[in-house]
Amino acid sequence: MSELIRKEICEGVAFNSITDDRFKRGRIYATLVTPLDKKTAAANALLSGVLRRSCRKYPDFTALNRKLDDLYGASLYPSVRRIGDFQAITLAVSGLEDRYALDGVSISAEMTELLCSILFEPNLIDGCFSEEDVEQEKRQLIDDIDAEFNDKRFYSLNRCAEIMCRDEPFAIGRCGSREDVLSLTPEDVYKAWKTLLDNATVELFMLGSSQPDRALEGFRKYFDGRPRKTMGFSRIVSEVGEVKRIVETEEITQSKLVMGFRCAYEKTARHAVATALMSAIFGGTPTSKLFVNVREKQSLCYYCASMADIHKGIMFVDSGVETKNIEKTEKAVMEQLNTFMRGNITYEELNTAKLALKNVYISSLDSLAAMQSFYLSNILRSSFLSPVEAAALTDDITKEEIIELAGQLKLDTVFSLIGN
Amino acid sequence: MNFEIIKNERIGEQYYRLCHPSGLTILVYPKQGYNSTYAAVGTDFGSVNKHFIRDGKEIIVPDGTAHYLEHKLFESEEGDAFAQYARTGASANAYTSFDTTCYLFSCTSRFKESLEILFDLIQSPYFTPETVAKEQGIIGQEIKMYEDSPEWRVAMNLWQALYHNHPINIDIAGSVETIAQITPEILYECYNSYYNLHNMVLGVAGNVSPEEVLEIADKKLKVSQPFQTQSIFPEEPYEVKEKYTEQRLPVAVPLFCLGFKEKAPRQFVTIKEMICTNILLEAFAGFGSELYRKLLDSKLINSTFGADYNEGKYYRTVMFEGESRDPLKVSEMILEEVRKLKQNGISQEEFERARRCLYGGIISGFDSPSGLASKMINNEFMGGTSFVSLEETAKVTPEDVNERLKDQLDPENYALSVIKGIDD
Repeated sequence: MSELIRKEICEGVAFNSITDDRFKRGRIYATLVTPLDKKTAAANALLSGVLRRSCRKYPDFTALNRKLDDLYGASLYPSVRRIGDFQAITLAVSGLEDRYALDGVSISAEMTELLCSILFEPNLIDGCFSEEDVEQEKRQLIDDIDAEFNDKRFYSLNRCAEIMCRDEPFAIGRCGSREDVLSLTPEDVYKAWKTLLDNATVELFMLGSSQPDRALEGFRKYFDGRPRKTMGFSRIVSEVGEVKRIVETEEITQSKLVMGFRCAYEKTARHAVATALMSAIFGGTPTSKLFVNVREKQSLCYYCASMADIHKGIMFVDSGVETKNIEKTEKAVMEQLNTFMRGNITYEELNTAKLALKNVYISSLDSLAAMQSFYLSNILRSSFLSPVEAAALTDDITKEEIIELAGQLKLDTVFSLIGN
Repeated sequence: MNFEIIKNERIGEQYYRLCHPSGLTILVYPKQGYNSTYAAVGTDFGSVNKHFIRDGKEIIVPDGTAHYLEHKLFESEEGDAFAQYARTGASANAYTSFDTTCYLFSCTSRFKESLEILFDLIQSPYFTPETVAKEQGIIGQEIKMYEDSPEWRVAMNLWQALYHNHPINIDIAGSVETIAQITPEILYECYNSYYNLHNMVLGVAGNVSPEEVLEIADKKLKVSQPFQTQSIFPEEPYEVKEKYTEQRLPVAVPLFCLGFKEKAPRQFVTIKEMICTNILLEAFAGFGSELYRKLLDSKLINSTFGADYNEGKYYRTVMFEGESRDPLKVSEMILEEVRKLKQNGISQEEFERARRCLYGGIISGFDSPSGLASKMINNEFMGGTSFVSLEETAKVTPEDVNERLKDQLDPENYALSVIKGIDD
């Protein structure tokens, strides 16, 4: 149970399945992964919305959604994520397991057919996406991009990443820029569709109690024999020079402080787990150095946390503070970092962070969505580690490894958003 | 002591219920093959319970007291509960809503030890002037974070426009000024009034057996006196206070929240009323609805749009919310469709589609331990079991839904809340 079975369909296309009958809702995912590129990021992001609107079989938004309702509220959702310097476009369907259908319909078969139809048989008019669909989705994608400013914690983290990685693909963001989106035509979206199907790394997932064969055949039918060529990935990282400092002002009552650090990067699973553990000790749990010292002892903030991006090799520390305390908070974070780098880690700190991280890995076994996300993240680093193996690996990490990783942290950028 | 077994044949699931001699209601939902366990204690005490009578004494507490108490309960004379949980590897948290306060943890090992910590936490209040003062800075920053949150402000402003007197119009965390008035005495007063095991429910779901929960309950729980606190809610007129409210914040896309206030003659709605409303809203405003299509075609909404029923202790409101470049137009269009709906009701076909959708959603809800535990607790407070929603959904008719509609979505009794950009 819960074991991943992986089959290569063709060059760059793999079908992963987990057969597990504990759940009442099954899931199928198609994720297309491509290097983040300023020239294609916006079109790829827009494509996911355009595909979600309709397909040849259900050429109208309302008809498609009513079909989903009829399948006992199946859901079909597009998503666009930045994973390190890659862009991942996902279309996912989820729906009740067949045994709960009241009218004997095979929900899983219909879901598979629908996802294949959405992905491979879009609603084209004269060989291209419709002007109206593209315009509608453009408007919504622009709303999405603009609305990232509404949440100031999120906005500040994004700005820090953008400034820190300005000459790297990472800074392009998951959807490209507003201007890039505005200039897109239906032809650009069509080209993005063709290019992704021919050149993206495709990771397909089927999770739940239904037999995966039908979905495998559905996807195979399309990809089999298709000449494909996936694009190679390269990781582009700038050297850390003098710390970049950017201050912006806004009419807000709480100021935000984000500090971006570069971490050491290796592609191995052990390195990823160790980096996650290091960040947990520093600022990832309620017993972390930042929570205990900056929040609890100094009462400076409600949150002061660290998050490591293991795909990129960076770590952010962010906090929401009173404007007058912003320097004091930065100093408090750096003080904690300095003791951390000097190897000041108690057995208790190491042990509680390990328990917390293992809890996350093992808990992911109780959710199909969490399992998919865990495996995808690993597969993109060429690792087929299971959550149970990740938990065992966590136990194996030594204090010395953590100290070494902490010693390699370099402050790159400090972004502050100050209230007027 | 025997657990009552609560079963559902339709999906072949069951859970266990017990009224423990201490006063605590215990609900245990074992999930075969799961690795994690989620446990939560809910107290029937939220931010709206700010006026009450106990032992003949009438008490009104400062805004934000329930939430402050939640933060401070994590500390005991022995130290901080977060640190204790960390040693067992459990991930712990707590939250305060308008209606309840919840303390929870999830774990994948050493469940019994973590449950002991949870029971200690809710039974050992320890407040001193120093520990209470220390929290002012932390909660003060939490309050400011919410002041800057357009999603939170748009909803809070709506409550203030809809309600004249009901404390739903007060921010859950209070304000920097009101929390400055909170003292250890006030926290003890609230604790003694509401943190009575008869007024609390434990829900556990996942990798767990009823026996192990009972073992720890017997070991740790102290018998509570009968619960006698009486909450007082002010008279609330049917009519909304204001039809429109607006605030400017740095946002790039304006936000709106349109709310239709209803009569709330009883403390809670029934599960059947809830199901009828959910079917109604799915049929009226779901992805497959006419309304959704019209709003989208008119370029008025985006994927953030949604409709929700917000109800609790003597308040009930249907809300439509999302982002829009033209909130007034959205509101006009919804009102126009609401008038049509009130006249025509929902059709058999729309009903069937929405019902199937809801049915699928309810069954899927039985997959997640955290969802199960919270649902068991909420249903217990509402006086039902977790399977009632499913059975009501199977039984309900279009006539039931159209009957329910008579008490809902009054096109004369609404308010619109808008958050605009600074320069809009």
